[in-house]
Amino acid sequence: MAHRLEMRNMTKRYGEFTANDNICISLDQGEVLAIVGENGAGKTTLMRMLYGLEQPSSGEIILNGKKVSFSGPQEAISRGIGMVHQHFMLFYDFTVAENIVIGHEPKKYGFFRRKAADEAVQKLAEQFKIGVNTAKKAGDCSIGEQQRIEILKVLYQGADIIILDEPTAVLTPFEVDGLLKTIRFLADQGKSIILITHKLREVMKVADRVTVLRNGKVTGSVHTSETNADKLAQLMVGRQLQKLNERDSISGDILLEAKGITIGQKGEKPELDRVSLTVRHGEILGVAGVSGNGQSQLIQAITGLRAVQEGSVRLKGQDLTEENVLARRKAGISHIPEDRYLWGAAKDATVEETALMGSQRNPKYSEKSFIRKASFRTRVKDWISRFEIKTSSLQEKAGNLSGGNLQKLIVARELDFHAPLLIAAEPTRGVDIGAMEYIHEALLEKRNSGDGILLISSELSEILALSDKIAVMYEGRIAGILDRSEATEETLSVLMAGGKQHDATAKTS
Amino acid sequence: MMLPQRLHKLFTPLIQPLLAVLIGLLAGAIAISFVGEPVFETYKAMWEGAFGNFYFLTSTLARATPILLVGLGVALAFRAGVFNLGSEGQMVLGAVSAALAALCIPGPPVVKLLAAIVAGMLAGGLWALLAGWMESRFKVQLLISTLLLNYVAVLFASYLVAGPFQDKTGSAALAQTPMIDQGAWLPKLFPGMSVHMGFVIAIVCAVVLIVILKYTAPGYEVKMLGLNPFFAQYGGVNKVKLLLLSMFFSGALAGLAGSVEVLGSQYRYVDGALTAPGFAWTGMMAALLANSNPLGTVVTAILLAALETGAMGMERNTEVPLEVASVIQAVLILFISAKLTLKLVKFRRKEREVHGTV
Repeated sequence: MAHRLEMRNMTKRYGEFTANDNICISLDQGEVLAIVGENGAGKTTLMRMLYGLEQPSSGEIILNGKKVSFSGPQEAISRGIGMVHQHFMLFYDFTVAENIVIGHEPKKYGFFRRKAADEAVQKLAEQFKIGVNTAKKAGDCSIGEQQRIEILKVLYQGADIIILDEPTAVLTPFEVDGLLKTIRFLADQGKSIILITHKLREVMKVADRVTVLRNGKVTGSVHTSETNADKLAQLMVGRQLQKLNERDSISGDILLEAKGITIGQKGEKPELDRVSLTVRHGEILGVAGVSGNGQSQLIQAITGLRAVQEGSVRLKGQDLTEENVLARRKAGISHIPEDRYLWGAAKDATVEETALMGSQRNPKYSEKSFIRKASFRTRVKDWISRFEIKTSSLQEKAGNLSGGNLQKLIVARELDFHAPLLIAAEPTRGVDIGAMEYIHEALLEKRNSGDGILLISSELSEILALSDKIAVMYEGRIAGILDRSEATEETLSVLMAGGKQHDATAKTS
Repeated sequence: MMLPQRLHKLFTPLIQPLLAVLIGLLAGAIAISFVGEPVFETYKAMWEGAFGNFYFLTSTLARATPILLVGLGVALAFRAGVFNLGSEGQMVLGAVSAALAALCIPGPPVVKLLAAIVAGMLAGGLWALLAGWMESRFKVQLLISTLLLNYVAVLFASYLVAGPFQDKTGSAALAQTPMIDQGAWLPKLFPGMSVHMGFVIAIVCAVVLIVILKYTAPGYEVKMLGLNPFFAQYGGVNKVKLLLLSMFFSGALAGLAGSVEVLGSQYRYVDGALTAPGFAWTGMMAALLANSNPLGTVVTAILLAALETGAMGMERNTEVPLEVASVIQAVLILFISAKLTLKLVKFRRKEREVHGTV
């Protein structure tokens, strides 16, 4: 049988640079094909060509046995190809139903038929078992719901082939499970899915076949039944990944002591409810939890970005509760923020300016408040070579760096303060495996040198791999603190879902 | 760095404003042809009126002086991420304070002159600071408070010179202060020409502002605060303090604009003499047109001043009315407002994201 879709010998060159080199993929009806690769491997370029956003330098696309070429997304959509982008394209003030039918609204005498739209969307949602509230405003929907709206929009437009670009990057673990189920269900209904990702666990769970890209070339194309995550990782990175080993506890004196931190308006349920934790020298304290359970507030309370109503923050015995961000940074806190675009950088600032934050008044790099750019540049260049940050120059805008490269820049900046305490929030979110490994190693190295790290992450695997101790947050409270030895994915999951510590340990023992 | 690259960097910020001016001129050309006059001749008359000879050139520079100073102030505030729409009030208060200081403070003329400049800058700065303080203390939006404080300032200044400090010596009771002692005047740069020392002061201010924004830690912090306030706070920048400081200096520059206009060209505060020509609004336009780049603001301030002086020349020598300049300005404003709307939308989106994550 002919394939539903085939892309043959696709090549895309930008000047000297070859983004896609002779790539071939095929996709059958009812199949889930995962395309994996590190950032910059060429996944997105390939999909942009399929979706009509880019024209291939050479190669051909064969859809249902016929050769096609798309000059724009409209043509791709009309031929049954739909794409759910990583960044959603919704009108926040429109309802869910309106967002889904947009561009193809049911009309009568040129007037929009709201009720018909609602019904059509309801029917579609039921058919594909995708739960949405059609009357809600899109802006009030959670990230997971917004994604479901996007998927329904694509289905409404009649897509048979659905491209999902990094769909799980923004989701909580529960939402990820739901999405994977939806994907599987869509495939069972005869839809063909292309899943672009670099999360191998999800690939192994949901995909039928995997095509691995590296540096614009296909390095492997296999059935998931015949491979495993380690093999895929090797194909992606081109070398064996190191396993993080067991290690001895080297924890020393108390470094950070947070006591009874409470944040919230009077009379309302507090966002952060009497949270206490300690981080010792030479220790990584992991904070696990589904995002939105008070982790952001905890970070902001410790770094001084938000005032606390109750409680205290001490670093090496020094009371910092009333101090501002600058004083806390000076006292020895560095901070990899959870959202690199919101807190960690300014998109329109240059790479150099992004790197300078926090050092602009350091006597080493400024003299009588004039910044010594020359000596600072040497330092940034050192980071760029050490962390293999890909940027065209120091004057490149930070927003033009890929997510992973910007993250590496931020990590390098914060590590180079050599502060005794590092707060690392989602340090590897949206970062490819190679960079992830590098960042993890850097964190461990810092811990081994006797510094303390507060690691906040919604990736359980990351928490488990790095932490000496693990605190779980649930609804603004610490649900339990476990030792590295007693923590497993199961015990943590129970606590993350609101179970008691006792249940968690009882269940596994 | 290679020279072409440097030149490239220097001129890139100028491309957009120059393009806007070009399109403005095109729109003006259409208006001129509606009147039925030859476009090229008219523009030539305009050019002559602005730069035609040394006298016209210096008049243009004189007119550009307050526009440039106001523009620099607006650019500074904008760099820090706030809208200062209160330049007019700040300028007028600066002007009237400078005039009164020069009149009332005893001492040798040089002392009077310096005192007047300091008083003008302080008045403008404090007036802007008031709006900044209300924002940080009571969350009164700067956009609104600065705009409304204009009326307070302008009317208060009118009251001062129509009441307690009115010049009663002349026969006609105009709303103006007495004339300032000649020793306290800002000297003219060339005898018989209207451009005065204030222009040099304005250029020095522009250079200082460029250096501060580009090479110093506070300048860096202001820039980051404007680009992403969350990033700045995260890095330890004291947002409130920096915002107040930026507002103060923004207002002080507007106050300086008023002061040099009084000390260098009118020699007294005349009610309406600063508001009628719309120096403040033109200055704001200059800053926005130049994307708050201080160097660009120098260019756009002179360009906008030339547009005005040129239009006067045009009216003298052709049948085309002065209002053609307004047509061109209107097109420029369209450009600016389109750009501002985009910025505001982006800003809102960012705010929304923040509320989303917390």
